[in-house]
Amino acid sequence: MVNYIDVAIRAETGPMIAEEDFNMKLIAMKAAEYSKEIDFKFDPKEPVNTDNTLADEIWDAGLRFFLDVGIYSVKTRRRIVFDESEVKHALKNVKSRLEVGQGKDRRVLYNRGVEDTKPPVIFGGPFNCDVSEEMFVRFNEAYAREEIIDVLFLPGYLKTLSGLDVRPDSGLSSRTVVLYGRWSREAIARAGRPGMAIVGHAIMGLNEIGVTNEDWGLRVTDPRAMVMLPELQVDDVTLSRLVYYIQYGAPIYIAFTPLVGGFAGGPESTTIVATASHIAAVMLGGEIIHMGPQHVRYRHQTNIHSLWVASRVKQAVSRNSKMIHLTSHTTAGRAGSEQFLYEFAALEIDVVPSGSHVAGPRPADLKFNNHNSPLAARLFGEVGHAAAKLKRDEANELVLKLYDIYKDKIDFETAPVGKPFEELYDVNTLKPKPEHYEQYMKVKKHLADLGLELEFD
Amino acid sequence: MVNKEEIFKKMQKAIYDYDKDAAVAAAKEALDAGIDPVEAVEKGFAVAIRDLGEKFDRMEIFLPELVMGAEAMKAGVEILKEAILARGETMEKKGTVVIGTVEGDIHDIGKTIVIAMLQSAGFEVYDLGKDVPIPEFLKRAEEVKADIIGASALLTTTMLRQKDLIEYIKMSGKRDKYFIIVGGAPTSKEWAKEIGADGHGKDAIEAVKVCEELMKKKRGAA
Repeated sequence: MVNYIDVAIRAETGPMIAEEDFNMKLIAMKAAEYSKEIDFKFDPKEPVNTDNTLADEIWDAGLRFFLDVGIYSVKTRRRIVFDESEVKHALKNVKSRLEVGQGKDRRVLYNRGVEDTKPPVIFGGPFNCDVSEEMFVRFNEAYAREEIIDVLFLPGYLKTLSGLDVRPDSGLSSRTVVLYGRWSREAIARAGRPGMAIVGHAIMGLNEIGVTNEDWGLRVTDPRAMVMLPELQVDDVTLSRLVYYIQYGAPIYIAFTPLVGGFAGGPESTTIVATASHIAAVMLGGEIIHMGPQHVRYRHQTNIHSLWVASRVKQAVSRNSKMIHLTSHTTAGRAGSEQFLYEFAALEIDVVPSGSHVAGPRPADLKFNNHNSPLAARLFGEVGHAAAKLKRDEANELVLKLYDIYKDKIDFETAPVGKPFEELYDVNTLKPKPEHYEQYMKVKKHLADLGLELEFD
Repeated sequence: MVNKEEIFKKMQKAIYDYDKDAAVAAAKEALDAGIDPVEAVEKGFAVAIRDLGEKFDRMEIFLPELVMGAEAMKAGVEILKEAILARGETMEKKGTVVIGTVEGDIHDIGKTIVIAMLQSAGFEVYDLGKDVPIPEFLKRAEEVKADIIGASALLTTTMLRQKDLIEYIKMSGKRDKYFIIVGGAPTSKEWAKEIGADGHGKDAIEAVKVCEELMKKKRGAA
């Protein structure tokens, strides 16, 4: 059995390789090699996969690819490698059920299968958009008030404190981390959900571990998010946080963003790399595994390549492992626009019938502080639940219809700008403004008309 | 009489095949045939690499192919460059760029794309890598007599280092000597203006255009 201590040791002792060679000779070449073994080709008319054999072939290729490549430790320029028996043992023993949060607000996370009618767990929140100091508590409180959100997701990035820029690993960032913990807890308490789990990542370098405090900060029941770099890379700060949080006992949340068009190559070979990244996350000690199907050209996750990749990878992982895994949702259209809602709905309908839980949503290209919407997150939860009732072929038709709505505006320059939270909400009552609510209802009704089984009061 | 066009086609094919050896061989053949090396770059390698850049933008090819194409071109151009230097001349280049990802940030895929595109466009590029301490940008720029300093940042936390870089260069009294451009996912034209940068590229193609415009400005001023 391999654990985080072995990972830390192998990061210091594994085979050395230049990063350029890791990217080109291992990631790019091997991914191309393995994807050629599979008879599949990107098809824009089939974002949602319906072929179980293909999903299993992708899993098999992803596993073999991972055994060949391992994980790259950026700082030491060494590969953290595992043998087949270690990987199989870890996959056999990965948690398929995990509790997060406390008391009445506790939630059970579980692994989902393909076309599983169990609803996905909804990880909703600011998703680390830039959040202003004065709005941090109110913004998160508005999210926590949304009953459909199970876990408060990444309460936000505090870019400035008292008007000063906050740099990671600075003294000021240490102070920011403490406030991040305090204010996140205050937000959920104000919303009447004091035990609600918070997925935390304050983006403050190693100082971030200072967020941990059972009384006022993030608790042992709050998942801590760590991010692997594309493709299959970890840095020392991430490894250090990982070791600390594992020893502390907090649920380990590992995120990664395979880049379609990057070193992983095209959509086909990216499925192999993304599947391998799920396995890598487990080997690092991940218990909640997050994929953001990113794209090198579009820089968001709702383009047709990302949709195609996400469905296949999620099915490969769901059919062949017990992992608790989810998909994040970043969009071209920004909060406050209809397009934002259509985009995340398309990706949810793509991945939920493919076995994934969901996290998000957030505009990929923020224009303001607090550029997100708790009401949009409500629809995100509702669509997630409804999508669990769909078969994959039905999902495919719906995704295509939704993609048609926004496909001509998926560049940041043409995508709608939207509005920040304080323009979408009455920040005193924390109620959405009438026009924002009307927009939500309009899109929700349209989604229902298109065939999604959404519930209306 | 060796057909020039055939040699140019061979040079282009080497890039399309991502074949370093073939690029070197085609460059040698061009020299043997007495073709002007500058013309060989422009009508041979550059045609293909520009095409690859456009294909990458349309996602008809992906980053590994773009990098391999740029590497093949670099190998071929090196041969031609040696010949030019041997003649006691210098090869005309569009400009010299020193580029790196700022301190605290270890993302560099975007920078890799920008470098490949800049090289394709005829710039000489010095890659400082990632997590680069601020003084290193200026030190290297001084060493290679750069025209442009490029700073990349992928995180909202680390884009602040771009601001620090500009302040550091100002403090060193060298601000007028270099154009400074910034890029990376969280950055914008507004950010570039706010921190006093000379340019911003939303993507690799725009970064090349910005560098070309800055060099025109420099030459115009000279």
